[in-house]
Order: sequence, then structure tokens, then C-alpha cells
Amino acid sequence: MSRRADDPEPACEDCLRRSWLLARLSVGLDYRCIDVTRLMELLVLDDERLMHALAGRRRATLRSDYLRFDSAEIPRGDGVGTVCRHDAGYPSALRSCGAPPMLYVLGGPGRLGELLRRPAVAVVGSHKASDYGAEMARSLGRGLSASGVTIVSGLSDGIAVAAQSGALEAGGAGLALAGGGLDVGPPARRRSLVERLTRSGCVASELPCGCEGRRWSSAAAERIVAHLAKVTVVVEASDSAPDLASAAIARSLGRTVAAVPGRVTSRSSRGTNALLMDGARLVRGAQDVLELLHIDSPAVSVGEAVARARLEPRLVEVLEQVGEGRDTADKLIDRTGDVGEVLLALSELELLGLLTRGEGGRYVPRP
Amino acid sequence: MLARAHTFTIEGLHTRHVTVEVDVRPGLPAFTIVGLADAAVREARERVRTAILNSGFEFPGRRITANLAPGDVPKAGPGLDLALGCALLAASGQLPSERLDTHALFGELALSGELRACDGTLAVAQAARERGLTALVVAPARAREARLVEGLEVPVAERLSSAVRVLSGGSADRLREPVSRPLLAAGRQAPPPDLADVRGQHHAVRALVIAAAGGHNSLLSGPPGTGKTMLAQRLPSILPLLSDEEAIEVTRIRSILGSAPLELVRRRPFRAPHHSITTAGLIGGGQRRSVGEVVLAHNGVLFLDELSEFARSTLDALRQPLEEGRVAIARARHAAVYPARFMLVAATNPCPCGHAGQGDRCGCTETELARHRRRLSGPLVDRIDLLPPLVREAPDTLGETPLTCSRGALERVIEARERQAARLGVEGIALNAHMDASVLRRHIRLDARCDSMMASAREQGLLSVRGQHRVLRVARTIADLNGSDRVRSQDLGGALALRPEATLGGRRAA
Repeated sequence: MSRRADDPEPACEDCLRRSWLLARLSVGLDYRCIDVTRLMELLVLDDERLMHALAGRRRATLRSDYLRFDSAEIPRGDGVGTVCRHDAGYPSALRSCGAPPMLYVLGGPGRLGELLRRPAVAVVGSHKASDYGAEMARSLGRGLSASGVTIVSGLSDGIAVAAQSGALEAGGAGLALAGGGLDVGPPARRRSLVERLTRSGCVASELPCGCEGRRWSSAAAERIVAHLAKVTVVVEASDSAPDLASAAIARSLGRTVAAVPGRVTSRSSRGTNALLMDGARLVRGAQDVLELLHIDSPAVSVGEAVARARLEPRLVEVLEQVGEGRDTADKLIDRTGDVGEVLLALSELELLGLLTRGEGGRYVPRP
Repeated sequence: MLARAHTFTIEGLHTRHVTVEVDVRPGLPAFTIVGLADAAVREARERVRTAILNSGFEFPGRRITANLAPGDVPKAGPGLDLALGCALLAASGQLPSERLDTHALFGELALSGELRACDGTLAVAQAARERGLTALVVAPARAREARLVEGLEVPVAERLSSAVRVLSGGSADRLREPVSRPLLAAGRQAPPPDLADVRGQHHAVRALVIAAAGGHNSLLSGPPGTGKTMLAQRLPSILPLLSDEEAIEVTRIRSILGSAPLELVRRRPFRAPHHSITTAGLIGGGQRRSVGEVVLAHNGVLFLDELSEFARSTLDALRQPLEEGRVAIARARHAAVYPARFMLVAATNPCPCGHAGQGDRCGCTETELARHRRRLSGPLVDRIDLLPPLVREAPDTLGETPLTCSRGALERVIEARERQAARLGVEGIALNAHMDASVLRRHIRLDARCDSMMASAREQGLLSVRGQHRVLRVARTIADLNGSDRVRSQDLGGALALRPEATLGGRRAA
């Protein structure tokens, strides 16, 4: 049995074999994972039972492959390190039942340990965020990261990506859990984010290189997110099951679940509002999350907050009106009259970083 | 005996002088034409022979050789018939040849001896004057066109026999008033649609006026049914009429491409090709008609609706005309440079389903949005200065008073254009949109507050270098519309609010 010579502390053979088995059973898992609870039940099974449950008629072949497993067969990705639970540096949060025994890591296992020594908060939510949701996630990422909290999230579009780029904007770094092998290139629109995360944070996955992401594996990644974080903040979620999966898992693990309220009339906020109704903690901004973590220091104010404090009254008025939903130039001009002044105020607010543009060029306040 | 006549042939938009030499001498009866003639010219033999006979002249039963000089220029079209016929009559002694040296002849002969007008009469008239000829004999149908050229006599000939009379020193036929066709006439004179029809969308209307004033290329983005096409169609109504020089250019293009204008075209062209257009259709090239929509839009407006549906390669081909105001076409058999200075107006949906920015209505995935953005980015959108986002208006705006009517807007546009012309005259350009980086630096005149705004835009990474130039050009135009000598912060604020990056930028792409 060969060990990998150039890894400082490579994962042990058994743990590698587990990840290999998951990759082999990926299609079967995808077929069974329509229900998140069912998936969780499968993922706590040991190797033998998992094969029994999923391999079907190919069980015999799979078992003989399993017995002849050699870790050298697992493709190696560029810069991908491994860490497993038999290693002292393995995150303690992942030593519980249902958590993966090992992780593949981009950015170095050492840095993974470093990130998780700080308090970790999961920022999760819909894959298709509204402008409001994306800006809230970004602002939470910025604020929490500036206060020394590690942002943990998936690596899907929408809330997760917005939170991670917020953290990077504040000069911090987060941990993103990918739903597939780390060498399977991210879509072009996310490539730069993954590169920046690899440089200063971490991207991790429980699946070996070469394994493509599937539905089950992104839900499984959400489970790792929930395991790792003390508090899970759902920023925006509709009432569909995938949007609420992380919250359900976090709740079943006994972690604190918090949610950002949204408009009652908006479908994309139905899930978060329902969570609040069911007793989730309400989050209005980074400060609220810090209180949940029992961190006393006030949220570190970032550049924009300083700018906001010294705003001229005419800009404050326009900013407030945009916040109330007058988000196009026409709506604001109807109200105030002077075209030049309104457009000037809007552009100045944009230059101060207090407004940004959303879909269709609408103005969106940055919280 | 030998005789010579002057005529012209048309290549794309250019005219070439052709000398028709006809020699008649004893020998076996034959009629040969040499000199790179195309099929239409070779068929001229039959037309000319029959027309001469039907006009009561004699067709010499001898050996006739016609040469079209210069011998290396391909000659096309039936416009050479008249010159060929007259040269033949002169060579056979039926027509004195002095006036053939000073009169150009252009027209197709019918078998009956009647003279038919040909496309490009205006261009031929211009070329005849440039060549120093004193007169151009044409058919009545297109004579008005030829008379737009000053310093050239245009005798009208209805038949071959009238042309012979003119060339013998006799009088020309009288040009009758055009037959009035009420329906057509009304269509020609109907005013273009007016801005007063637009309710709501004030931000976009203002942007359109800015675009018209500075000649800026613009992109209208908004959900279906918000009036993008309606607005674009009203752009010609707020553009000043063509100047004399521009009007001749436009009329000449029309004349060659076959839509016979009866008078000088004064209204700016508005071309709206469908998005299935090919590159050859847009730019030119192809087999027969080698002139594209960009040339037809010269001095006017080119409107591309559903911009993201156009083929990528077709849009990329617009780069040269947008940059240089002309288009150079090189094909295996011909090469030409045509004028193509137009204002581009494009329209697009904000996302594939069209409902982005309307809360939950948009069902596009991030992947689809990314693809849509990619289709819109690239060299074309780099040359767009203004992007007014249109949003769906509440139904009650239909009862509101419109922001402005076309007449009022046109006055402001003309005033702003005069200011620009006065300032930019020394640079040899007329509009802010045509300022390059160095001209921009010399003429922008920012006030102090603008400098700090631009600096913070650079710091925030909101604008690329090219983006800064675009914003400054638009700011200059807004200042001109406001009658201000310097660019004030309000003007710059307006330009920043309309910058294309704001709406097209990949904020969500993180």
C-alpha cells in the first residue's frame, strides 16, 4: 500500500477509500437523494452497509474493487491537499456522526485549521438570489469577516458566492465547500472567486478529484457547512426544499439557525420568513450575528459605514428613498423634481459605495 | 469612319468614365463590342439595332466595331445604350459629332427607340461635371435628380430621336411635372412619429435627447413592452435635417441603389435591419448589390432591435464603420470604400426571458444570465456611450403628460449641436461623440468638483479608461444641452447614471 510521499500528512488509506466509494456510488446517491433526510441517513452508514444499500446488482464487482483499492488510483489535482480524521489537525467539528471522515483542500490543510480556529458562521440561501439578498449576503460577509469571523458556505451561485466575495472585499477569507471534485473546473463566472479563495482562504470537498458535482453532492456539501458553523444564517430562501436544506440540517445538528427577514410578498423570501416564524433568530446585519456568537466587540466598521456617518442631508434623503423602493431615476425625479440634482446624488452615492446597480439597472442600497 | 461618345458606368457607389468608340467600315455585316462588357452591355447590340431602326434611322449594313475604353474596367448595366447608339449614328454620318465631345449620354434604349432612365443618374451627373462636360442627356424620369447638380446642363430626351435632335443643336424635350400619386406623396411627407406619443420613461427620453445632441451610440435595455422600439423610431424626429453636403451624399446613395428620389433627401435615413441579417447584408459585399445597411444608414440612424439575437460575427463587423465612419470592402473581384457614418441605436432585453429587475418574474438561471451578458459584451458594446435602462411603468402613466414633444427637443438638440460645432470646428469634427482622447482632453473643461468625482470613480474601479472617456463625452453633451460652458458636477452625475457598465456590469458574477 503506497502512501503519497509529497503530502506532508496525507489522509490515511481507509479515509481515501471512503471518498473513492462515494464517487463510485455518486449516481446511485443522486437517484436516492430527492429527500435530504434520506441522504443524511445514507451518509452515516459505514462502507459495507453503504455498498449493500446502493450497489445493487454490481455489488460483487464493487466489493472486489473495494478490496483491491489503491490510493494511487485517485487522480491528483494541482495544489490539492488532504486531511483526515486520524490526523490531529482535522477540524473537531467534523468528528461527529454524519460528518465526512476526510476532506480534499485547496489552499492547504494548515490554513483550513487556522480558519476554523476562529468562530465560523455559515451564510447560506437560495442559488438564485434577488439583488436584496445578494447585497445582504455580501454585507454580512464583509462585516463578519472584518470582525474576525470565518465565513463558511457552499460554492453555488447566489447567496453563497455573494457572501464569499463580501468576505474577500473586507480583506478576510472564507471557507467554501465545493459540491464536486476540486479539479473539476468551476464555471467561468466563478473561476476568479475560486482563485482568490485558494490564495487567501480555502476551498474544500469530500469527493476526490475527477468526480463531477451532482444534486446529492451539493446537499452533502451543505451538510458539511452546517457541521462546521456555530451559527447558520439563511439570508434568502424560497420555500423549496433545496433552499432550506442547510437550515434543516443545522437544526437537526442542534446548531443555531438565524434568518434575514424579507418582504412578505416576495416568493424568494418565503423560506426565511417561515424560518423566523418557527423560531429562528432574526438577523439584520453583522452585529446581530456577532451577538449570537457572544462576541462583544462592536462590528468593525468598514469604509462605507464611515462614509455613511458623514453624509450630507440631501444624499441621506435620496438614499432613504431608494431604500423605500424608489429604485429608478424616474421614480426619484417624480418625487424631487430637479433632474440634475437627483442624478448627481445617485452617482455620488454610487461613488461612495452606498448604492449599487442591480438587475435592469435598478439602484440597490448596500447595507 | 470613327466616332466617340462619353458615358459612365457604376461600380458599387463609384462612377467610372467610359469612352464609347464606334468604327464603321466596309466588310461583312457584323456588330462587335469589346472592352470588358457584362451581359447587359453585350445585349445592347440588339437593343441599339432595333431602336435605331424603329426611330427612323438607318442601321449600317457594314462591319461595326465598338470599343469601351478604358479596356480594363468592367462595364455593367444598360446605361451605356444611349452613348453606343449615338456614337454609331455619328460614325455612320447620321449625326454631327461635335457635341458628342461636350455632352455625356446616359440611358437605356427600348426597342421602340424610347429612352429609359437608369439607376445612379445623380452620381453620373456629378461625375460628368467633375470631368468638365457641359451637359448630360438623360431620360425624363430621373432628370430632376440630375438637375440637383449645379453647373451642368441637363437636356431631357424622351426618345433616341430627341437625343439626336439635342446633339444636332436642336431643343430638348420639355420636362413634365411628375404624375401626382397622392398615396405615395402623403407617405413621403408624413412627419416621423413624435416624442409626444411616449408616456412615462422620462429618463430614457432624456437619454435619447442626449444621444441625438451629441451623436452618441446608445443601447436601450428593458423588459418587453416598455417602449424600446417606440423610442428608437422617434429618434429621427429629434435629429436636425441633413445639411446640403450630407443631403447630396444621401441622395446619391439612394439614387444608385434604385429608389429614385424626386428631390433632395433632407430627412435622415433610419435603417432597422432584422436580426437575421448576414454580414454581407449589413456591411456590403456579396454578389450583386455590394452595398450594405450601414451605407444606407450613412448620415442617419442604424437601429438594431434585439441586439443579442444578431450573429456575433455580424456585430463584430460593425467595428470599422463605428470607428472610422466608413467601410472598406475587399472581395476577390472588387474592393471599395464606402461612407458609413451613422448613429447606432440598439435595443435589448435585460435577460433572456426579459423580466429581470421585476422581482420574482425573471426565471433565468445564473448560467443563462451569464451567457446573455457575454453575448452583449465585446467590441460593439465598447463603442456604446449611453445605456438608459427602461422599466415597466405603472399603468396610470398612460394618462400622464409626455415629457416633451419632438419639436421642443429638436430645438435643444440643434442648439447643443451649434455649441459643439463652434467649439470643435478647429478639430475638424462636429459632434462630441467623435472626440478622441486627445480632443477630449483639450475641450472637456471640467469644474473642480468633477475632477474629484472622476478620481473616486477610478478608485472604486467603476470605470475603465475607455469607460471614463465615454462618460466624459456624454457629460460634455449634457453640459452643451444645458447651455453650460464648463462641465458641472450635475452634468457628470447624469453621465455616470447612464453609463452602460452600470446595467451590463457583471455584479452578480462576483
